[in-house]
Amino acid sequence: MKLLNNKVAMVTGAGQGVGEGIARALAYAGAAVMIAARRANNGVPAASAIQQHGGTAAFVRCDVTNRAAVDTAVAATVDRFGGLDVMVHNAVSPPGPPAPIQDIADSLIEAQIATAVTATFHCAQASLRHLRERGGSLILLTSAAGIEGSANLPLYATVKGAQRGILKSLAREWGPFGVRVNAIAPVAQTRAMTDAFAANPTLQARLNARTPLGRMGDPETDIGPVAVFLASDLARYMTGQTLAVDGGRFLGL
Amino acid sequence: MTVRQNALVIGDGEPATAIALGLADLGWSVVQLHDGSSPITDHNWPDELDLVVHARYPAACRQQCAMADLSPAEWHAACDEPLTAAIRVARLAYRPLLRRAGRIVFVVPLMASAGGAGYAPFAAAAEGCRILAKSLARSWGSDGIGSHALTLDPSAFVHGAANSGGEYVLHDPPLGRVPDPRIEVSAMINALTDESFDVLVGSSLVLDGGSWMPG
Repeated sequence: MKLLNNKVAMVTGAGQGVGEGIARALAYAGAAVMIAARRANNGVPAASAIQQHGGTAAFVRCDVTNRAAVDTAVAATVDRFGGLDVMVHNAVSPPGPPAPIQDIADSLIEAQIATAVTATFHCAQASLRHLRERGGSLILLTSAAGIEGSANLPLYATVKGAQRGILKSLAREWGPFGVRVNAIAPVAQTRAMTDAFAANPTLQARLNARTPLGRMGDPETDIGPVAVFLASDLARYMTGQTLAVDGGRFLGL
Repeated sequence: MTVRQNALVIGDGEPATAIALGLADLGWSVVQLHDGSSPITDHNWPDELDLVVHARYPAACRQQCAMADLSPAEWHAACDEPLTAAIRVARLAYRPLLRRAGRIVFVVPLMASAGGAGYAPFAAAAEGCRILAKSLARSWGSDGIGSHALTLDPSAFVHGAANSGGEYVLHDPPLGRVPDPRIEVSAMINALTDESFDVLVGSSLVLDGGSWMPG
């Protein structure tokens, strides 16, 4: 008996990176997983990879900044798999290059708020009815920057902080419905991070040196199991929490 | 000792108005930037500022409403718009504050960091502001600009949302009351502009009478 047998999950931004790793972990723990991604050219392979390893997955195109698209993706998940137990909002837009707030353009502000904040509203509201029917769980992907702030990515830190305001409010609001709301603040080695390390070989060593466990987390095998835990009944008395899955990088928070 | 003179208080209603009055009581030359009457643009900002206080949360933020019942337009008005405006305030504040090695203070309700049922958009906008204060402290500290956040009891923002016996905290304030925005919150903001507090960087101070003592 797997931990998430008979559970259904939808993961946004699951075509790559942390979202893909979480989708795989949820699927291999027994959940049927809807890969929600903007592009089919990575969403379809992500679903296929899970299927080839014996998991249950499908792909739906979804731009989380578009309310109708989120509604459609949730409806497609329920139609395909018979319900929704777990909504994981992971999608994030590129934070842009490091810059102080006074140098950040309106377009980037709008994009970051749309993906991190407005899209959380979209995902939460679209999934609530289904999560409530099945005593489900909403999981947000946030960041340590949303707790401690960031000199280099102040906008990203701001929107990730805003997500935690939603997290705690919804935990209070949805607790009486039997719906739990939690977050993960990961440090993970995504493909983008791997590319950055290739371009700057000293970067990896410097980051690892700041991490007690001495390495970046793997999206599937390090970050994914924590999402499985939060999605499972093992975490049935946990809500409103942000779990740092960071190898100990941000112990001071 | 730096003479601190010009303050800009951003926001309507409480606690912004009380803070503006309190700073004036303490001798500051205060301009209050109200919603609607003064759009936040480059053109209506002073060239030099010693202090910017952000407490701008439009009426839409302060209306309790379940997430399930919010329309997209209501969400935008209660969260996206005030959060965007706060980021723009920070962007505009940099140069005037730089010229005076000034301070920026974001005033937020307790539901920012503790959550509030029915206040998800308000909490999101306000917690974004609280973390923005930390980010500004990190990036502007070397320029001599200080940045802080002050967390107040919800009743300072939402009439009738007093903490005692409410959902936000479990304890009555040991102080026996919540601080008065005009007198005590303004005094704390004034203190944060004093050079003797320069070593306090990116602080998140809770002025709620002691109900909530975060770890």
